[in-house]
Amino acid sequence: MTSTALPDDKTGGLTKRLTGMTLARREAWAGYLFATPALMGLLAFTALPIFASLILIFLHYDLLTPPKWAGAENITRLATDSRMFKIYWNSLRLVVGATFLNNVLGLLLAVGLNRTMPWGIRYVLRTSIFFPVMTTTASLAVVWRFLLTLDRGVVNFLIGQIGLDPVPWLSSSTWALVSAMIYDVWKSCGYLMVIYLAGLQAIPAVYYEAARIDGAGFWQQFRNVTLPLISPTAFFAIVISLIGAFQIFDNVWVLTEGGPGDASRVIAMYIYEKAFRGFEMGYASAVSFTLFIILIALTLLQFLGARRWVHYE
Amino acid sequence: MSKLQTLPHQNMSRRDMLRLAGVGAAGAALAACAAPAAAPDSGGGDAPAMEPVTVIATTSMPVNTFDNSLERSVEQLPEIALEVNANGWGEGGWDGYSDTLLTRIAGGEQIDVIMIAIEGLRLLTAKNVLVALDDFLAGDQPANEILQNDVHVTLREMLQVDGKQYEYPFSWNNMVMYYNTAIFEEEGLDPPANDWTWDDFLETCLKVANVTGGADDRFAYSFWGAGMFGMAAWYFNNDVSPLSDDWLDSNLLDPKVAETVQFMADLILEHKVAPNPEGWDEWAQFHAGNLVMRTCGRWCIGGSLEADFTTYDMQYQPHRAGPLRTVAGTDGWGVSTSSENPQEAWEIVKLLSSTEASIDMVQLGGNIPALRSVSELPVFAEFGPPNTALFYETLDFAATVPSPTNFNIVEPILNRNYATIWNGERTVEEALQTAHDEVQVEMDKLKQA
Repeated sequence: MTSTALPDDKTGGLTKRLTGMTLARREAWAGYLFATPALMGLLAFTALPIFASLILIFLHYDLLTPPKWAGAENITRLATDSRMFKIYWNSLRLVVGATFLNNVLGLLLAVGLNRTMPWGIRYVLRTSIFFPVMTTTASLAVVWRFLLTLDRGVVNFLIGQIGLDPVPWLSSSTWALVSAMIYDVWKSCGYLMVIYLAGLQAIPAVYYEAARIDGAGFWQQFRNVTLPLISPTAFFAIVISLIGAFQIFDNVWVLTEGGPGDASRVIAMYIYEKAFRGFEMGYASAVSFTLFIILIALTLLQFLGARRWVHYE
Repeated sequence: MSKLQTLPHQNMSRRDMLRLAGVGAAGAALAACAAPAAAPDSGGGDAPAMEPVTVIATTSMPVNTFDNSLERSVEQLPEIALEVNANGWGEGGWDGYSDTLLTRIAGGEQIDVIMIAIEGLRLLTAKNVLVALDDFLAGDQPANEILQNDVHVTLREMLQVDGKQYEYPFSWNNMVMYYNTAIFEEEGLDPPANDWTWDDFLETCLKVANVTGGADDRFAYSFWGAGMFGMAAWYFNNDVSPLSDDWLDSNLLDPKVAETVQFMADLILEHKVAPNPEGWDEWAQFHAGNLVMRTCGRWCIGGSLEADFTTYDMQYQPHRAGPLRTVAGTDGWGVSTSSENPQEAWEIVKLLSSTEASIDMVQLGGNIPALRSVSELPVFAEFGPPNTALFYETLDFAATVPSPTNFNIVEPILNRNYATIWNGERTVEEALQTAHDEVQVEMDKLKQA
């Protein structure tokens, strides 16, 4: 943006600079003004709760009676909480498994649908795959619970028809977490498919044309054209699916209630249990902070790692 | 949603109400100073109508149980605008219900009248959520007489803490054995006797079960596999409890606890006459004829009424050792310490505990009414199977469900550990040892608090 000095201004350069600064400042103020509502929201609903929970770590507080000073008790307790470590292990397995499967399946489905086919079939397929994303998680989990029940469950009935033994999908420590993962992938991969599809459709066709002229087959095109050019999309998809996987709560809650025992309990459920079942707000905050630190570390790692494999056009 | 929610006064906040009341009071004071007042005209032709006071009650029962009570409140208590809402069960059971309720109260929600059962009563009184009703009762002879004369002492005392009455009993439950009479007839079995034993029960299970892994599987029996109330139905009939008598210590290492749990686990794992409770829909399977027996309280009649299922009856739980005992638990209505209108809340407590409200509940197949007079009405027998009288008969040998102050913590611990027994991953001894270790830590905390 330019500014014009007045004709009778003997110090036109200075005025110009001042006017320029004023404009810049005005722009800055306008920017702050536009950002203020979002910043207020961030302050009220993110920063303040984080700060409050940081204070709560040093208190015994049950919501209904006045808080009492706890010192470092809630922090030292973390080290001896064997349940928490076991539950973190569940969360880690679920996060890694669900993130990996969601992204691989989402990408494969996107590649499969990004082909020439009758438009009717394409839209039916896209809608069918995306449909679970639009439906309430808890209500779908109830349906899956009926499907996966050991005795008289539909899935086990079908398995029985081909002569196999029933699988204790929900009642076995081995299978409960796997069931939660399968459900999450079925529910979420359609969303990632849409993201990957958008990424694929943004790749200019000339690159594939050039690759074909050079004699590249499907796999070579996928490996050397598609994957590098879709890497920014993949980075975004991996980041959001990882965060989403750490937030998994309601589907496991309805599907297995975290059981049997703690076999499928995830860290969000444990924090909820400590906060709103045991009313141990201080200790729940301490566990929340461990999750906060882990998420920050993982995000940093992702951004550092992204420099090596994400290619911007 | 209640019909009352559309009335204009519902839009007025408590703050507005107080402000109006303050203005009214100031106006009245000024008027009093201005001139000696004549006796008020009882007709009140020119007097502005008083806005009703909103009283909100929260319940564990389906809200439609109190639809008729809402209508009665309009007629009988026009100065009160009553709302009844449901409090969620959370993860299930009274532990989840108590947690949800406390979270709502901590969030500042207006709740004037609270339904809670003995399982959550001590937690609520420990958090100073409930007002002792003794002063209300002292000033309300009719209500006190009903409580003393028409409510069994066991039920009354269940809702007392340290000798104070915190809830006015509304309903209660025990656990009995429901069985499909059509299948019993089909299999040539006599109805179970009221003194049947665990051996008799197992023998019956083996006769009626037909489990091959196919679509037409028929299980003999299913149990919740969790919940203090459901498990106590078995423990008490083996003369043992998972907690000490004062509810301050774990009793999970008592050999009789292991014996009881082993018997139940064997039904699933060895005899294969019962399904793993995880994910199993007991109600639907019982009504579909895929389940022959189940343990439940009177509230299960409601499901059968809805499903129009009539070929069933009930008997006492089978017995193993010690005196005959049935588990029992009572719920009632109480006044919240956060209520700004405790006197109006007390009026609502009485309305929601009345004979009429109890009959409404009975007709929906809900719990057993606390008022003995209602259980003696024809309607009680009419809305239930032939052996319905069994429910009230058990009161004389009822034992209270273990309900420590930290019930909301203890019950989930037990549930988590039971689940690993039913799926065969841990032995009864291993799981009970783990549960004991966890429960005892919580009990020690409770004793130190």
